[in-house]
Amino acid sequence: MKSSVLDAPLRKNLPFVLPGLIIYVAFVLGPIIAAVVLSFTKWDGLGRPELAGFGNYLQLFGDEFFLKSLRNNAVLIVFYCLLPLLIGVALAAIVSRVRKSEQLALRTLLFMPYIMPSAVLGIIWQWLYNPAFGPINQILRGVGLGALAMPWLGDFDLVLPAVGLVATWYYFGFCMVIFLTGLQRIDPSIFEAARIDGAKPWYTFGRITLPLLLPEIRIVLLLTIIASIKSFDLIFTMTRGGPANATLVPNIYMYELGFQLNRYGYAASVAIVGAILIFAVNYAVHRFVRPAGTGAR
Amino acid sequence: MASTSSTTAVKALSFRIVMWLFALMTIIPFGLLLLTSVKSKQDLFRGAFALPDYPHFENYVSAWVDGHFGIYFWNSIIVVVPVVAISIVLGLLTGFAFAFLSFPGKKLIFVLLTIGMMVPTEAFIIPLYYEMRYLGLINSYAAMILPQIAMSVPFATLFMASAMQQLPKDILEAAMLDGAPRGMILRKVIVPLMKPSISSLGLFLFIWTWNEFLIPLILVNDDVYRTMPLGMLFFQGRYTVNTPVLTAGAVLVIAPIIIVYLIFQRKFIEGLTAGASK
Repeated sequence: MKSSVLDAPLRKNLPFVLPGLIIYVAFVLGPIIAAVVLSFTKWDGLGRPELAGFGNYLQLFGDEFFLKSLRNNAVLIVFYCLLPLLIGVALAAIVSRVRKSEQLALRTLLFMPYIMPSAVLGIIWQWLYNPAFGPINQILRGVGLGALAMPWLGDFDLVLPAVGLVATWYYFGFCMVIFLTGLQRIDPSIFEAARIDGAKPWYTFGRITLPLLLPEIRIVLLLTIIASIKSFDLIFTMTRGGPANATLVPNIYMYELGFQLNRYGYAASVAIVGAILIFAVNYAVHRFVRPAGTGAR
Repeated sequence: MASTSSTTAVKALSFRIVMWLFALMTIIPFGLLLLTSVKSKQDLFRGAFALPDYPHFENYVSAWVDGHFGIYFWNSIIVVVPVVAISIVLGLLTGFAFAFLSFPGKKLIFVLLTIGMMVPTEAFIIPLYYEMRYLGLINSYAAMILPQIAMSVPFATLFMASAMQQLPKDILEAAMLDGAPRGMILRKVIVPLMKPSISSLGLFLFIWTWNEFLIPLILVNDDVYRTMPLGMLFFQGRYTVNTPVLTAGAVLVIAPIIIVYLIFQRKFIEGLTAGASK
């Protein structure tokens, strides 16, 4: 790294680096390291933490609740990632062909859920799903589909997809906007050439558009899979992981173990496994989803 | 051929309908929310889409006064303003250092900052809770402000550093040759040039801090310190039956965000998508 004209001796550089760094170490990096250490102990929050080696981690993989939370999370990836991705690509392909003004209006509209507090959206959706007076069931009864008016968040089998669909609703517009930006980056003459060569629309989409959108697909995969592993606010406000752990995910389990059962060491190991999963996803997406050959960055 | 052109037209139209259906799906929950927030309890039984005889704005008064949303609103402001302001200042300083200065362990510190961006708050909330308890800060504004500044430092630093690296070098060199001290150059030359980036950063930090849920959930349990999203949760516990007031409260929480979003939506979407594609 070539030094800049603005560089100076270390003593004079430190005032620029230290303030931000100190507060970061004090309230983020320090606690992260403490959480790692804590995950190797047993601690009830009162006495001294006892070293437990890898005990917590070994226990985790025989813990049916933890395994259940991982399975739930795997299902949620379909709703956090796969569905928004598919809807997003399809919508972007449609929206990119309409008038500019209509495009802007749709972009503004569809992006809106993404900037909202997911905790509040969870509470709103809990009301929408309410079996007795929620609007969804009211509408279903109103159009004569009363048989479909289910206790969405009270049913063991329905609750996970019901919560998942809220996440899909939350992310598909965001995905659409990312893909739309991607489509605008692609040189239109490529599509023109394909059309002149007589390529069918589906062929063009599969063989030209999708490969060129690979950088955007990568971002969307990364952000949405990570969001599903991080999921807490939405599920906490909608179901608290219930009924009967049907929507338990690792972060909810961490919250219960730590702040309700005072098993802080074990809770920390759940949290650390979540963080490791995020690093693994990050690595996997960067490693395996890469633009092949020419045309893309 | 007339038939193929008409099938293309039908196709285009059906695509348009699909597109607007999804747009409707996005907007309907918010529309229902707004509508329900001006209904009376009796109006509720006449169906989700039925209009009330006249708008019951008193629901908002109940939410603001009896529902404590007035307190929650000011708490949110008291937390968000310092978090955004201090994070921007720290981001400018640290970003300046990463863009132009040399110091030992620069690469390592960079890696440590990116780790902080990836690790979810849930992963370190337990030690953070005990740290705050040790400092005697549980149930205080500081318990929400300090960690959220710290959580903003990595993003603010990287965002500012990458924006500063794109500044024209000759201006900085000219300022340096004039013999101005670096603090002055940062304040008088760099900051004015970076106004667009600074306002984008401020916007993101505002939204993230306004929406934050876990930090106030864990670090604050006294109602007088609760911020809006959290206040909403506890309000729901108390007022489950009174749906109109609940929805009025929800509108109060998201209204500031929607207003800011609609004013700056261009900047927002472009900033977030550009940031995401790095």
